[in-house]
Amino acid sequence: MTGDDDEPLDPELRDAAHAYHEPPQVPREALWARIQMRRAAERGAGPADPPANRVAVRAPRFLVCGAGIAALLALGVGIGRLSVRVRPPLGADSAPVAAAPAPPPQASSPAAAAPARDNPAYRLATAEHLGQAEAFLTLFRASVREGRRERLAPAAARQLLATNRLLLDSPAAADPRLRFLLQDLELVLAEIAQLAPERRREDLKLITDGLERDGMLVRLRAAVPAGTGAAFRKGVL
Amino acid sequence: MDDRLLISRVQAGDASAERELYDAHVERVYRLVYRLAGDADQAQDYTQETFIRAFGRLGEFRGEAALGTWICSIAVSVALNGLRRGKRLRTREVALDEAATAATPDRAAEPDLRDRLARAIDDLPKGYRVVFLMHDVEGYTHEEIGRTLGVQTGTSKAQLSRARARLRRVLADFARG
Repeated sequence: MTGDDDEPLDPELRDAAHAYHEPPQVPREALWARIQMRRAAERGAGPADPPANRVAVRAPRFLVCGAGIAALLALGVGIGRLSVRVRPPLGADSAPVAAAPAPPPQASSPAAAAPARDNPAYRLATAEHLGQAEAFLTLFRASVREGRRERLAPAAARQLLATNRLLLDSPAAADPRLRFLLQDLELVLAEIAQLAPERRREDLKLITDGLERDGMLVRLRAAVPAGTGAAFRKGVL
Repeated sequence: MDDRLLISRVQAGDASAERELYDAHVERVYRLVYRLAGDADQAQDYTQETFIRAFGRLGEFRGEAALGTWICSIAVSVALNGLRRGKRLRTREVALDEAATAATPDRAAEPDLRDRLARAIDDLPKGYRVVFLMHDVEGYTHEEIGRTLGVQTGTSKAQLSRARARLRRVLADFARG
């Protein structure tokens, strides 16, 4: 039997069926505004992937955490700038006075940067970032050694690289040892971030050899407060 | 306007062409997803997602069906996936209340009939329900339904036939009365 051959519903039922989920007037302009906003947002965020593709690859935990760190760091930068701006010049313990005249913030000046560097937001953001970087590089090295294809490594490296650059531009980098570590880490992350999909095994080996040669993982572990790295490894794995 | 021309203008970044495409199809898309979802917020979400996907995938449109059919196929997919993800259908009672305010109080609009018919439509298997709503309520042809759902025309006809039979059976007392 086919629908065309089938007897139609009797008029009463047919009329009643038209009342089922009867659509109201289309909110044409409101919908168009929503679509435009969404498209503008996606264009601003780079090439839009089809939603199906977006959900096909689940971001590793450290990518998700990385966004949180970046947000925390941005907050820290704000707090740091505020604290630098309002701190009395002679380092008195009195509360900051917003209206007090103050020199412009100079992150490169140790005297100005030290208080900001010691800000808990910076310390937390730095520790989290280094912990994540250490976990990521450990996994990356293990993957290369086992010959696995790490499709998400460049994306994860880019995320970490963004946070790394934020930290390098922040008062946290006023600490020379930390700055050198971040600069070396930036080189490693940039290499991984630029890996082409058809990367050759030699390229991967060069990167992991560099990790060993520079003692990057050892330096990261030394810089990360005890427990932080382990916590992030748990998140990653 | 020729679909191909409109698409090429959209792909060239012509904002007015985007709006033309939207204006040409939004009514049909919104009505269809509203029929399936029964909720204004969900219908807006699905309509928005449909056009976002359509604009993003225009390059994949090969012209095997009309552009409107292609967009409707996206809409059905978006709505069914959305509903499958656990977004609840609007409760039948709310639908009935809203519908009652716009209808004339004749025999066909009798609240009890609507109530029971709505319940019966809700209880139809998904495939039956989609075809029934598209054909008997929104007026799509079997050819359009087939292309939209990616099924044979005969399948669409069979689904409709079974849907009607089930509704008749459930509402037999009304049909007799």
